[in-house]
Amino acid sequence: MNGALVTDLGFALVRYRVLVILAVTFSVASIWVPGFFSAGTLSLSLDRAATMGLLAVGLTVVLLAGQLDLSGGAILAVAGITAIGLQESMGQIPAAFVGVMVGVLAGGLNAFLVVVLRINSLVATLASMLFIRAVGHYITDSRPVSGIDPFFGLTVSRPIEGTITGRSLLFLVAIVVLHFWLTRTVSGRNMFAVGSNFVSATASGVRSRAYLAGSFVFSGAMAGIAGVIQSLSVNTGSPVFGESIVLTAIAAVVIGGTRLEGGRASAGGTLGGVLTLGALTTAMEFQNIPAYIQQIAAGLILLLLILLDQLVSRRNSRDVGLRSLVRRMKALSRPHQEKERKHISHEN
Amino acid sequence: MTEAMPPVPVPVASRVLAQSGLTRVRGWIGLPAGVVLVLIVGSILSDKFLSVSNLTNVLISMSIVGLIVVGMTFVFISRGLADLSVPATVGLGGILVLGLQPSLGSLVAGIVGVLAAAVAGFINGGLIGWARVNPVIATLAVGTIVLGVAQAFVGGVIVYGTDTATQDFINSRILGGVPVIVLIFLSVAALGHILLSRTTIGRYTYAVGSNPAASEASAVPVKFTRAFAFLLTGALGGFAGVILGLSLQTARPTLGIGYEFDAITAVVVGGVSLLGGVGSIPRAMSGLLFVQLLTNIMVLQGVPSPVQGIAKGAMIAGAVALDVYLRRRGGTQ
Amino acid sequence: MRTRTGLGGLIAIAALTLTAGCAAETATTTDTNAATADDTVAVAEGGEVCYITAAESHPYVTPANEAIDEAAAAAGLTVIRLSQEFDVQTGTDQMNTCIGRGSDAIILWPLDPQAYIPGLIAAKEAGIPTIIINSPMDDEALELVASFTGPDVYEEGQLAADSLNEALGGEGSVVIIAGQAGNGTTIGRTDGFTDRLTELGSNIEVLQVVNADFDQQKALVASRDLITRFGDEINGVYANDDTMARGFIDAWKEAGLDTAALPPIVGINGQADAFESIKAGEMLSTILQSPYEDGKLALETVARLIAGETVEKRLPIKLTVINSSNVESEMPAF
Repeated sequence: MNGALVTDLGFALVRYRVLVILAVTFSVASIWVPGFFSAGTLSLSLDRAATMGLLAVGLTVVLLAGQLDLSGGAILAVAGITAIGLQESMGQIPAAFVGVMVGVLAGGLNAFLVVVLRINSLVATLASMLFIRAVGHYITDSRPVSGIDPFFGLTVSRPIEGTITGRSLLFLVAIVVLHFWLTRTVSGRNMFAVGSNFVSATASGVRSRAYLAGSFVFSGAMAGIAGVIQSLSVNTGSPVFGESIVLTAIAAVVIGGTRLEGGRASAGGTLGGVLTLGALTTAMEFQNIPAYIQQIAAGLILLLLILLDQLVSRRNSRDVGLRSLVRRMKALSRPHQEKERKHISHEN
Repeated sequence: MTEAMPPVPVPVASRVLAQSGLTRVRGWIGLPAGVVLVLIVGSILSDKFLSVSNLTNVLISMSIVGLIVVGMTFVFISRGLADLSVPATVGLGGILVLGLQPSLGSLVAGIVGVLAAAVAGFINGGLIGWARVNPVIATLAVGTIVLGVAQAFVGGVIVYGTDTATQDFINSRILGGVPVIVLIFLSVAALGHILLSRTTIGRYTYAVGSNPAASEASAVPVKFTRAFAFLLTGALGGFAGVILGLSLQTARPTLGIGYEFDAITAVVVGGVSLLGGVGSIPRAMSGLLFVQLLTNIMVLQGVPSPVQGIAKGAMIAGAVALDVYLRRRGGTQ
Repeated sequence: MRTRTGLGGLIAIAALTLTAGCAAETATTTDTNAATADDTVAVAEGGEVCYITAAESHPYVTPANEAIDEAAAAAGLTVIRLSQEFDVQTGTDQMNTCIGRGSDAIILWPLDPQAYIPGLIAAKEAGIPTIIINSPMDDEALELVASFTGPDVYEEGQLAADSLNEALGGEGSVVIIAGQAGNGTTIGRTDGFTDRLTELGSNIEVLQVVNADFDQQKALVASRDLITRFGDEINGVYANDDTMARGFIDAWKEAGLDTAALPPIVGINGQADAFESIKAGEMLSTILQSPYEDGKLALETVARLIAGETVEKRLPIKLTVINSSNVESEMPAF
């Protein structure tokens, strides 16, 4: 019966929604941008999103743990300022290293606020965001700092052998490492447990508070790396860098299927989300589409993905036929009646 | 969503009611005492601090954020976490009131602005109350779309207004020197307080925030109550945008940037918890006043405004850490 | 399931990238243009200009953007306009987009004197002629571009200093409401002002410099603070542009102070509302610079570059001091 085919198709579309949305965006982009699939343009798309992507990798872990980190942009700025500002006294590589350490330190601050002082992570990272951003302004007197050699940073933003840029490569490596960690290590699996149910994870012997702290330190470190890379590529450190990058990165992570409630995350998903937004920006710029239309498109994609995410229930239900979708929408509003679902899977 | 740890397991009723006597008193006088302290410190540091003109300036700078704070208080108390679409609704209000001013006149254009922002708030409410989407991400998504739509409406440029009469009125002072803008703010705050403390929807808001499960079992319309908080914040954002637009007679899409974090700062410092169930409009306003007075002291001392974030960040962390500490103390009794 | 989606995602991406690498080259015709742009073959009509502007909606920038569009239409060129929205990072990324597009020329509106240098190096290596509009960059950047068109912001600061110094008779204290921190225009206009005061041997003291990002609303908030802090110690105000001067006037009125008691205010741009303020006695003077000329000159310069001509390294636009003596006879810039 045709109903079965439609149901299966619907099921596949929603389950692999990240891939679907990525494919759709790429298709639209290739229509708009002649030669979109040329290596040069794809590389541009990727590079455009690479800095945001590095942040997204860190945020994936934080969101997996059921927390939020709004301070990434501020950390990015201060890490960049440090990496550039110390170049004269230390040399470029050591200064870059110190910049990343600044990110780790900032992550530690967040960990302290959330795990030790038990402040809610939304509020805690809002506070640290304000604090760190202000520190950035203070140490630079609100003026950008210039580095000693603009050519040094070109290695980061130049295509290597005509393919992808240095920072894109860094981002992809980070994704692979994240994927490996999430799926094949014990600590990765433990993080899933901590994110889904803090209490029972602790009960089964996981040091959940340490994992939470670790997620913030990791996110801070990634923001630090992103900041150093970004500042090196323009040979400038500025207290106003990274002002809107965190929310975009969160959007990318959520588009990729990671939930804010914790317990679910995927490196591939984050990659898909980042690429989708990167392709969107590049394609729309090529078409001379104004920034505010880009915003609408990005917002709609985000909205679509989070609604689809709500439809795919938290317990991996296989059934995404239309009637059962409607039933589940209603069931979502009445949480005590979710046991209805058991009967649904036989319906078509 | 972002609960660092599971809430300290306490019987439901005690979290709201049975704090120890000392804790309650501490909670009650803590903030007003803080405000008095700031006033004293401020007047020591600068002789301009306690002047009428300076304090009036503080009230004026509070007024727009204050409108947002009213809505954000509802959001916090109903455990709606936060509304990040504020820049969008404020921008929408400002752009619409000036964009439609030539054809509809300031008053009608303003009403349209507020209604449009209320629609955005309604969408937020639907997503959060009914579709149970996480409020942070829902308001983020809706805000992005709404701001884009607002800009598309005027073709992405700055909107200029021409109604100097309304502008002068809003920026003027009546009743012996009270700025109109402060009166508007105080009226809205008063209405908000009455709504929250004396009406049914207010009681529902507290119920939903402190114990969603019990509320669902009883007759409280949980979904509607959660949605209402966001509808209100959206409308208030639009109203704030309208007032801002009329007082400046120019509107850029960036009009509302930063107000959401200022509002959250004020609410948090005022002791309204993110976990819901406690707080009130007067407390949120005390928090706002405290933050603004502190900012004013920093300004008078010549601290550049981007650097003031050091104090604000520390204040938020301090206020919430204290609140968490007191709640845990109160709860274990 | 999530492992599968993740792995599926990775495989899909890998497949796409491999396909792209193996796919036949589908470069646009503009790529080949970029490759040959450094020999003298003229690519006059139908060329593409990649214009990285400061913002879409700003009192000065918007008319400049429009002027570029008009001039391009007249010259038979197409303009791709990318807006930085006052964010330097976005601008540096957009440089890459322009180079990737293989445009025939780039017009860059720099928001920072240094940050775009790596991008300019890349543009030069790709053989795409680039000019800078309106806002200056450091000398090493100027070597990488074909020309810098636009007002002399340092001179604007000097003219403002002359005007204010004369009005105050060389005595008093002033506040400076500066533009976006680190922006070349801000630096030029502010340094020009302070240097000139020293040069004149003036006793004018600068109480404070605040940054208001060329935005009226931010200037209002900053001015509120200035008025709170200094009150009637403020004998004069120098704003890096008229929009911020307006912010100060708004703050003054908001504080309930009498507009007749406003200190002399000097702005820059020559906007219509500044003209009205000068006529009403609220502002002392402004330095007129036309955004239309600014944009038009930039586009005409790249048109010449695309046609293979060489252009002068520095192409200024006219500046006029407007005060009560000539406000009736001159026209506002926009």
